[in-house]
Amino acid sequence: MSMHTSLRRTAVTITNSTTTILPTRLPTSGTTFICSQCRHATLLRRPKRPYTFTQLITLSDGSTFTHRTTSPAPIYRSTRDTRNSILWNPSSSKLMNVEEDEAGRLAAFRARFGRSYDASAAPAAAAEEEVAKDSLAAKDPALAKRAEAEAKAAAKAEQEEEDNLLDLISAFGQNEAPPPPEKKVPKFTKK
Amino acid sequence: MAAREPCRYLTRALPRASVPSIRPQGFFSSRNVSDEAPARRLSDHLTELETASSLSTPVPDSAAASFDPLARASARKTQLPRGRYQFRSPKYNRGPLHPHQPPPPSDPSSRLFVPGPFSAPRAEQTFDSTVSPDIMTLCYVHTPPGFKPPPKSARLREWDDSSPYHKNRVLRGPRGGDVLRLLRKPIKFNNIPEIERITIHSYVKNAAAERNSSWLHVAGIAIQAISNVRVQTFKSKSNVAPWGIAANRDSVAVKAELYGENMYHFFGKLVDVVLPRIKDWEGVKGSSGDSSGNITFGLIPENVALFPELEVNYDMYPPKMIPGCHITLHTTAKTDKDARLLLSAMGIPFYGKIVN
Repeated sequence: MSMHTSLRRTAVTITNSTTTILPTRLPTSGTTFICSQCRHATLLRRPKRPYTFTQLITLSDGSTFTHRTTSPAPIYRSTRDTRNSILWNPSSSKLMNVEEDEAGRLAAFRARFGRSYDASAAPAAAAEEEVAKDSLAAKDPALAKRAEAEAKAAAKAEQEEEDNLLDLISAFGQNEAPPPPEKKVPKFTKK
Repeated sequence: MAAREPCRYLTRALPRASVPSIRPQGFFSSRNVSDEAPARRLSDHLTELETASSLSTPVPDSAAASFDPLARASARKTQLPRGRYQFRSPKYNRGPLHPHQPPPPSDPSSRLFVPGPFSAPRAEQTFDSTVSPDIMTLCYVHTPPGFKPPPKSARLREWDDSSPYHKNRVLRGPRGGDVLRLLRKPIKFNNIPEIERITIHSYVKNAAAERNSSWLHVAGIAIQAISNVRVQTFKSKSNVAPWGIAANRDSVAVKAELYGENMYHFFGKLVDVVLPRIKDWEGVKGSSGDSSGNITFGLIPENVALFPELEVNYDMYPPKMIPGCHITLHTTAKTDKDARLLLSAMGIPFYGKIVN
């Protein structure tokens, strides 16, 4: 069994070096530590520890882990954590424009009124174009026909271009033929 | 002489064989063939064994059917009496010269014994498996074989002996300040920085201002709830008239020190659940730190209320009495730069100008 010394550390510089009693002066700011022995019996207090439970934490992406906590709830589901916070995922494009809807009010609005108000932008533009076409047809039918044909041709060209691009993508690896070696070898030998 | 006394009784009490012989040891070294006992065969030993065995006798079926220790234990109304002797630690430490000494705190019979750890915290596992190898790799500095680092000058300067009074004078401090910074050794496998302890400290302003201890109670219980550790309270050390506190009179602060398992559980909870929920939180300021590897940041009362332990029982705490707190992450790193490397790897973001 080891020897236990009961020493009290005080941050007081005691001028009287012969004293062994505890200092009566208040501790002042200082870095001199002086240990003075205390001769009385000291109570060995049992450490107090709060009761802890094991809790399962479910993060927003579904991953879970357990920890010890004073909270009695067995499961904690977090809605906002490191997995969906922009500060911890600075490169995530998904989280860049994440909707701030912690109270669920926007979702409630959508459930009540639908999303049709949201889709009004694109159809409005299309409707305007339609109206313009109609007015053109009323003025000059030939001009309208020509404009229609032009639009059709433009659409066809666009489609073709898209097909070409798709072909290009699909045939990227296959079309690439190795360069003829006899052409290159003399080049290297020359240099 | 007194020390010899028990030795005499000991020789009497012990059997003859275990007492050291007074015969000269050379007796055993000079053995002859004729001294050997007559050789005995294995079959002779076997014949000495008793042939009847308890295993061969059949067990009666009634005994086998009635043997059910589990049911017997559960049917028992009262607990069995404990062992005849149980050591009880003394309640008081009466000094080093007292014959009845308390056991060390690591002994389960000690009054100071704290059992554990009981779980492997997630943050600790992450540190062991991922963060520590990464830090060791990042901090690796290659020196070719045979490389000798240039000798460094002494940190404490000597006095030039221009005056005879310089003799035996204590050495001068470093240039440009009186503070000796911690020495940073190259980071190897055995000194990878890790989190040493976490201190949660809360100064409760209203505890002194309102002369009402309920503020301190609420703060203490809230800090205990989030940290799993009983808090200490502190009295003010100095008089500050505008704050209305007098030295040694008012209890004004609570503090919880977290080590080991508690610390990692708190750290994991803080990083994964609490900090992401703080509105418009940029991170820990890059200039925080005491330049010896300890980083501090603060949480306002609204942020402390985000802890799941307070949230689950929010009505228990008076809303205006929930405390803010300062959280200090003490690491074994010697510089703030290493500490930031560790903490950012563990998931604490830093912002602003990084001051090392």
